[in-house]
Amino acid sequence: MNIWNLLLSAIVTTLLGFIIGVTYMGIRRKIVALAQNRYGPPIYQNFLDILKFWSKESNIYHGVMHHLAPLWMIAMAITILLIVPTQYGSKFFENLSFNGDLILILYLMPFGQLGMALGVGQTGNPNSAIGVTRGLSLLVGSEIPFIMALIAVMIQYHTTSVTDLVRIQQEHHTWIMFSSPFAFLAALCVLPAMFHAGPYEVIIAPAELASGPMSEFGGKYLGTMMSAGSIFMFAKLTLFVDVFMGGSTNWLWLIVKTFTVYLFVIAVGIIMPRLRTEQAIRRLWGWPLVFAILAFIQVALF
Amino acid sequence: MNTLVVLLLILFGGGIIAYFAYNIHKIVGDIWLVLVGFAASIYYIGYLDVSQVLNIHLAGFVLTLALNSFSWIFGLLIAVLLPLVALYSIPYMKGQDRLGWFYMLFLFSVGGMYGILMAGDWLTLFIFWEIMTWSSYLIVIYRRSEDAPRVGLKYLIFSAIGAYSLLTAIVLIGANVHSLSISKFFEVLPMHSLGFKVLVGSLMLIGFGVKAAVMPLHVWAPDAYSTTPMNYTSMFSGALSKMGIYGIGLIVINLYYHSGISLAGEIVAWFGAITAVLATYYALIQKDAKRLMAWSSVAQLGYIVAGLGIGTKLSVFAGIYLAVLHGLFKANLFMAIGAVERQAGTTNFSELRALIRKMPWTFFSALISVIVLAGIPPLSGFVGKWMLYESMITSGHYVIVVFLFLASVAGFLYAFRFLFGVFLGQEEKEFEHVKEANPFMTVPMLLIALFLIVLGTFPGIMFKYIARSMADLGFYGVTYKMSVLTNDWGQSINMQYIAASLVIVFVLFLIVLTWVAYKNSRNVTTKDIHTSGEPPSEEDNYHFSENFYRPFQRAFAFVYKYAITPVYNEFARGIEDFFQYVRRLYTGNAQTYALYVLLFLAILFLIAKNIH
Amino acid sequence: MVATNHILVTPIYFIALPLFFAFLLPLLGKIYKSFIRIVPGLMFAYLAWMAVVLLLYVYKTGNPVIVKIAGWAPPIGIDLVFDQFTGFIATVIAILGFLVWMYSYLFKKVEFDNALKYFLLLMLIYAGSIGVVITGDLFNQFVFLEITGISAYALTAFYRGRDGAEAAFKYLLIGSFASTFVLLGILLIYTQLGTLNMADIARNIDKMDPTIKVIAFILLFTGFGIEAEMFPLNGWAPDAYSQSPGPIGAVFASMTSKAGLYALIRLSFTIFDFSSANELLFIMGILTLVFAEGIALRQEKIKRMLAYSSIGQIGLIMIAFSFNTYLGVFAGIFLMLNHALVKSLLFFSASFLAYNSPHKYIKDIQGFARYMPVTALMFGIGVFAIIGFPPFSGFWSKFYLLSAMAEKNFVILIILVLSVSLIELVYYFRVLHKLYFAEPTGEYQPHTPRWNAMLAMVLLALIIIAIGVYPDLVTGFIGKAAHAIMDKTTYINSVFSI
Repeated sequence: MNIWNLLLSAIVTTLLGFIIGVTYMGIRRKIVALAQNRYGPPIYQNFLDILKFWSKESNIYHGVMHHLAPLWMIAMAITILLIVPTQYGSKFFENLSFNGDLILILYLMPFGQLGMALGVGQTGNPNSAIGVTRGLSLLVGSEIPFIMALIAVMIQYHTTSVTDLVRIQQEHHTWIMFSSPFAFLAALCVLPAMFHAGPYEVIIAPAELASGPMSEFGGKYLGTMMSAGSIFMFAKLTLFVDVFMGGSTNWLWLIVKTFTVYLFVIAVGIIMPRLRTEQAIRRLWGWPLVFAILAFIQVALF
Repeated sequence: MNTLVVLLLILFGGGIIAYFAYNIHKIVGDIWLVLVGFAASIYYIGYLDVSQVLNIHLAGFVLTLALNSFSWIFGLLIAVLLPLVALYSIPYMKGQDRLGWFYMLFLFSVGGMYGILMAGDWLTLFIFWEIMTWSSYLIVIYRRSEDAPRVGLKYLIFSAIGAYSLLTAIVLIGANVHSLSISKFFEVLPMHSLGFKVLVGSLMLIGFGVKAAVMPLHVWAPDAYSTTPMNYTSMFSGALSKMGIYGIGLIVINLYYHSGISLAGEIVAWFGAITAVLATYYALIQKDAKRLMAWSSVAQLGYIVAGLGIGTKLSVFAGIYLAVLHGLFKANLFMAIGAVERQAGTTNFSELRALIRKMPWTFFSALISVIVLAGIPPLSGFVGKWMLYESMITSGHYVIVVFLFLASVAGFLYAFRFLFGVFLGQEEKEFEHVKEANPFMTVPMLLIALFLIVLGTFPGIMFKYIARSMADLGFYGVTYKMSVLTNDWGQSINMQYIAASLVIVFVLFLIVLTWVAYKNSRNVTTKDIHTSGEPPSEEDNYHFSENFYRPFQRAFAFVYKYAITPVYNEFARGIEDFFQYVRRLYTGNAQTYALYVLLFLAILFLIAKNIH
Repeated sequence: MVATNHILVTPIYFIALPLFFAFLLPLLGKIYKSFIRIVPGLMFAYLAWMAVVLLLYVYKTGNPVIVKIAGWAPPIGIDLVFDQFTGFIATVIAILGFLVWMYSYLFKKVEFDNALKYFLLLMLIYAGSIGVVITGDLFNQFVFLEITGISAYALTAFYRGRDGAEAAFKYLLIGSFASTFVLLGILLIYTQLGTLNMADIARNIDKMDPTIKVIAFILLFTGFGIEAEMFPLNGWAPDAYSQSPGPIGAVFASMTSKAGLYALIRLSFTIFDFSSANELLFIMGILTLVFAEGIALRQEKIKRMLAYSSIGQIGLIMIAFSFNTYLGVFAGIFLMLNHALVKSLLFFSASFLAYNSPHKYIKDIQGFARYMPVTALMFGIGVFAIIGFPPFSGFWSKFYLLSAMAEKNFVILIILVLSVSLIELVYYFRVLHKLYFAEPTGEYQPHTPRWNAMLAMVLLALIIIAIGVYPDLVTGFIGKAAHAIMDKTTYINSVFSI
């Protein structure tokens, strides 16, 4: 693999991921507003926000970990985006998809969260730390059914690589959501929790001003974090599409698929009221876990 | 002269001399300790002749000293830790009394560990096992704290349970195999009956499981690890617990791999997995950094046991790798806690506040170790976790792997709890005077941290030795690459690319962010925070430390409802009550005793017909 | 097969010298007061040296030293047998006798009468114990048992007071049972066989009427069992141990109980040919072990605790002998040696601890390690040794014992013994923790051990460690001893070949 080629494709992928992610976020704000009978901001509002954050003159600086926190996030987001195969069969957009697998991706996700948690911790804001503990607690809830779904898929197809999963689906012209429905259902149920959306938004608690992990970040820090967040969101959507919905061979198809999934997340978020942390964990360990166990049984029997 | 004996002489003789050296002067003792530490380490790594075997005929038995590649790797861990801990100990133990006694026991226990690793027969292993046990017990109770008798007795009782089951197994081997040699035992094991294999195997596993803190034999560990002076705990949790792992490895793999009882391995793996989950759950509700890390040790050992229990090539490989790694990072963490204890005077989360600015180097090494502990890429912990999970998934143990995932995800919780509780949060005046620890303490920690970082991208450094030791366990043809990990299905990851990607993005944005943001930044205190217009006053402290994971505890209340300790306590009380009752047999009344004599005589006469 | 009756080295001195000096002691005291301390010491030293010389001779040549008294050859005359087994036990007793003397050299320094009484009785109990072991004559054994018993009663009542008198009375009562039974048993044998020589009885045992044989056996077994502190015949023991002067606890543990035990073993191994004797020994051993160790767990006074622990060890030794295998007997003898050494060390150090505490309760000795570091350390070494940590001597005997059990595949028994061992560990370490961790209560009477007691304890500790590090120091002797006790025919032949 040519190193310059790799660099170029990485930059292109990152940029595309950034643009798509930020647009999705804008669309989400619009849809939520419409559902609440408001006009809402324009779709491109988030681009303006990020631009504004980056152009802020002054910064509040709480210490080294605070300074580094957004970097962990963005390093994690971009690396995951590079590992997740975006275009099946495309030599150019291969990126790092042959150098990582599902377990690696799962373990990369906490990399950013840990960095952010440390940054948040250094600010001394107790509410931020509370947000982090909620997020970590919720992680236990969401990760287990999700991981079980993925393990079921891995064992069924004898591979741990996302690229292989996409290849198998493309070659057999099927989607895993049909061949392993229970795994898909389990993953789908915990998907809102993975996006901290819908009933599982207690972590960022967007309605309360002073709480949530982000509250001590402003200016360029927040800008970096938002960019990272949107890239990460798109990476997660792509991963879900790759594993369960056959991946894609071109960007358009990818956007259609990811947006469908995202629409589901938004819809759930609009419909469902927010849960307390322990309620959220119990709910995540309810039906999703049942589906995951059914997925295991399916794998074990067939 | 036999090099193995020389090493033991360095440690045991060094220990005795250390006692007198400290009685001359503290500085003489310190110099001697460091000398012994480095001498033993250098001698082990550089001069030890692994091929040498020594047979000693003693008391009608043949005691054999012989090292192999499998035990060598555990010895390497000790050899790496020993000089660093010795350096660390100088400032850490400053001002304590009875230092000569402490270091004598310290070196004795290290000598005991080496003896275990060198043992070529079960008797030698047991002798050194017991020497290690009592010397570590005496160190556990070295600080004559209020808790010490209880903790010490607990440790001793469980060690004794372990040692006695080991002893039972050994005498059974002696009687049935007619040889105490370890290799001979494994050679002839397949020829013996299933009952014998299961009996001896489980007795041995109980024996080794105690030191490896496998549930439900773990009860002593959290107490003992947190009561002991931290410089020894780093050896205790880092190296001594690995002796249990070493033994479990020997037994499980030989039972599983060569003797064909795969179920034994499965059961052991399940014990490990459950230990990992429950210990993690207990770790995250602890209120003291020492106890948190002690529980975390129990949990991490659970992973290792699970890895060894599965018994595939990759899982055993991962188990050994994790064992070595755990030795390094847990030693580092306990050293960091010791540094905090020394500088700030407490390790209690409700008292500690925001030491990150005061102790940046300690924080850095603790951070690296925590990342390794949590298994987050691109550091070395991930390599081990990846191999462990992939080995389980590829060999179809998908229920165990879910348990381990659960433990690992919940492990993030206590990892953050530790870092936040000690180093982050709101600063307080009380800790303003706190300074960074002595360089003798920080430099060993940073060295380990550096090694852990390098090992993440280039795990092949370690793989070389592990692959060699795998051959001793009967796994031949283990291949490895410097940075590429491959699972049994052929999928691989390349740590170099991952690390490069993370580092490049990180550094790129660091430069950008620092360039554009730093000069306009306003450096504020931790009091100057966004609290909806009500900034905390000087007296207020909004540090978040109580009920850290309250929602989590609520959600998993059913886990916290049960504990094994009350069961043990009830059992012990039952025994005491029983004998309190039996004691009444001795009434102190001469007539009663006379009656007993006559009764005894009468009974003998009654059964006289049966005496022939 | 017979050693020459050397004028300086002969087993007769084991009995003759202590008896002689015991009668002479009041006279010597009249000449110079310190003679009552020095003369016994010289005698003990000499006898210990003699025992070692004899044992080495027996060990090297393989021939037992058999002495006929007054020129009459057995079976008519009385003979003393110093073979590999009896010699070993006698040597252990002789060495410990010397150490006990050394420990109590300054005992009752200012009270002449008490000191005189003490050393006199010490020599008598010593003579009695060794006599029981080396005599070849059953009636003679009874006599020595009586000497031991009577001096032991007197020693129990040494401190005039209610408790001492009560303990001595109990001991006396149960002890007279023992004498009666033993005497009855001997009478029965004598009426049947017309001989009292053990070898002769053993040779002709089948000629006895089976019923009378069983009755004789039962009577003797019970009688010796009382002396050997077998459960449930040991009611006297804890009181006697705890009421007698400090070093006498060690004497009870290392001499009198060994003598009783020896008699019991000789009875079942040589004199009678019952195979169920071993089963009996086995069952009684287990009962003794479990009950004694369990009850020790609940003791509040340190010397009573040690007493029960000592009884428990006797149970263990009985179990070991009951296997009737080489390894079992080997382990049993090793255990006897260890028990003598370790229990003596424990009694030596504990009696100082108890002496300095107001009420002699375990809770009273807390924090004493600060005042008496060396004594506490000696107690600690004793505990380590009795628990069986390597490299202390207790480890090897335990290992041999378990090997003997494993040889017979008694897995349940191994587990039982080790569980009891766990109980033992708990109560010993509780004391140790009290000793080292608890804050002193302030009620402390500074009676630190003097140099002689210190030297005795350190010597014992060194012996314990030396045997632990290099068990081959004693395994050779023990191995020969085990062969000797198991080989009945050689014993009989060697007695009759003089």
